[in-house]
Amino acid sequence: MNPYIMSIFLLGLGLGTTITFMSSHWLLAWMGLEINTLAIIPLMAQHHHPRSVEASTKYFLTQATAAAMILFASSTNAWITGQWDINELSHPMSSTIMMLGLALKIGLAPLHTWLPEVLQGLDLTTGLIMSTWQKLAPFSLLMQMNLNNSVMITMAIMSTMIGGWGGLNQTQLRKILAYSSIAHIGWMILVLQFSPSLTLITLMIYIFMTLSIFCLFKMNKTTSINSLAMSWSKSPTITALSPLILLSLGGLPPLTGFGPKWMILSELTKQDLNMIATITALSALLSLYFYLRLSYAMTLTLSPNTTPITNQWRFNTKQPTIHLSISTMLSLMLLPLLPGIMTIIN
Amino acid sequence: MTPVHFAFSTTFILGLMGLTFHRNHLLSALLCLEGMMLSLYVALSLWTLQLNSISFSPTPMLMLAFSACEASAGLALLVATSRTHGTDRLQALNILQC
Amino acid sequence: MTYLMFLLLMGLIFGLIAVASNPSPYFAALGLVVVAGMGCGVMVSFGGPFLSLVLFLIYLGGMLVVFAYSAALAAEPYPESWGNWSVAVYGALYLMGVILVLFYFYGGWYESSWVPVDELSGLSMFRGDMSGVALMYSSGGWVLVISAWVLLLTLFVVLELTRGLSRGTLRVV
Repeated sequence: MNPYIMSIFLLGLGLGTTITFMSSHWLLAWMGLEINTLAIIPLMAQHHHPRSVEASTKYFLTQATAAAMILFASSTNAWITGQWDINELSHPMSSTIMMLGLALKIGLAPLHTWLPEVLQGLDLTTGLIMSTWQKLAPFSLLMQMNLNNSVMITMAIMSTMIGGWGGLNQTQLRKILAYSSIAHIGWMILVLQFSPSLTLITLMIYIFMTLSIFCLFKMNKTTSINSLAMSWSKSPTITALSPLILLSLGGLPPLTGFGPKWMILSELTKQDLNMIATITALSALLSLYFYLRLSYAMTLTLSPNTTPITNQWRFNTKQPTIHLSISTMLSLMLLPLLPGIMTIIN
Repeated sequence: MTPVHFAFSTTFILGLMGLTFHRNHLLSALLCLEGMMLSLYVALSLWTLQLNSISFSPTPMLMLAFSACEASAGLALLVATSRTHGTDRLQALNILQC
Repeated sequence: MTYLMFLLLMGLIFGLIAVASNPSPYFAALGLVVVAGMGCGVMVSFGGPFLSLVLFLIYLGGMLVVFAYSAALAAEPYPESWGNWSVAVYGALYLMGVILVLFYFYGGWYESSWVPVDELSGLSMFRGDMSGVALMYSSGGWVLVISAWVLLLTLFVVLELTRGLSRGTLRVV
């Protein structure tokens, strides 16, 4: 793609999210979401491959429907209460419709089915944008509203469980990452009404971890599990670190990914939701299974190879690796700093 | 709930149901999306007119501009899909399934 | 006036039932034109001729494009209209659903809840919506800039999406 046109689309992507961030009126927020959707579609379909065109068509249909539902909910609220402000969405019917629309936008569980298919059709860079940057605008809207309790908790629990179960049988890395995104979003939505700052920090840490894992796959040029077994010959260091990144995504204790899960579980038990906390903690085990399988295929097996392939690590990679190294460090070692970050955000 | 409110809510939900449940053609899905946008235009402009709020009346125009953008992007995707898949049937969009 | 409003709103709902009951795109576009016409009528009865005119010109003009597309794509040998069995069944189901919901919400609809009292219209030269839409250009500010920019963005989006390299049927050479 021509770099000038690419810059226009990237500008649109940033502008849409920024407009949604700064708006207090529903119409302006809707406009930001629309700009965002419009700007990412040509980036998704830039290779004109049938898979990418299909993915962008599916993405367009879901996102346009979600945006229309958001505007419908806010106009219903305006008809009933006369308010257009984002934090004045008070009528129960409109807030439920709004919750459904935003859930469709971020891919929360009963409305999640588009996310694995869309992510499967993209290249890894666009997939990274899709699973990080595109979540920011809907989350900024979700955090400004006071939403319906039971609907949100139900969707969040379904989302963590489906995110775990759906990824079990996959061999494609992008689909596995999509299901991991669904599970993480479930965790974020679960704690949203009790402590929005905790949701924000979970989202930030999820973005770091996803950034490192996408950059890792991009550096190895892998999109399925069986090609992961070759990654040790390309770069032994990052191959040694990558199970740690994956386990951090799964939420094991000394790594960064444990922090948000820990604090979310403690917040849930503070709110006397012990049963829900238990269910979500158990559903994290389902996700942990496929993270373990990925790390097993990546580091713990050594497939037989010819000499020219096994010496590939002697050549330096041409790709820039600075973002990979920074995000890897962040996703491995942020846990001791987490109380400090919490006090900053709170 | 006034009759007008009932009417545009019903039209929106009918469009949403049509989009959700049974679509053969991609073009029919886009038409349902257009119907939803149309009911939102009616909703916004009737809200303006009923409350006599003059300063709000540009908003349906802005919404119409954005929905036109959305519709044109949808039609471009229709062309792109019929190029790559050879048809606009939604059943043909199945190469990404799990 | 109440009777006219009743007819218009009913036409709005029936038109969307016609779109949603899954006929061929050609007939669905026809249903959408009916819906747009009824919406224009509703807005005129509410006292907004300019918004109604905008809807009529822009939306129906835009629908003409969709009509062209659907005429190109409706080359199937047996297009499904509302007389077909499946379409008719879905239409009847939607109609029954609408009537049930109507019975739930019906009640307390007196005359002025159909058409609002239009008391200020005698005093002013122009209708409120006309000067209100003109307000977009005088004090619209950045929203206007954003809307113009998104139209430009859409131009690039459409060009980039349909620029197809060498695949497909509709292409140069």
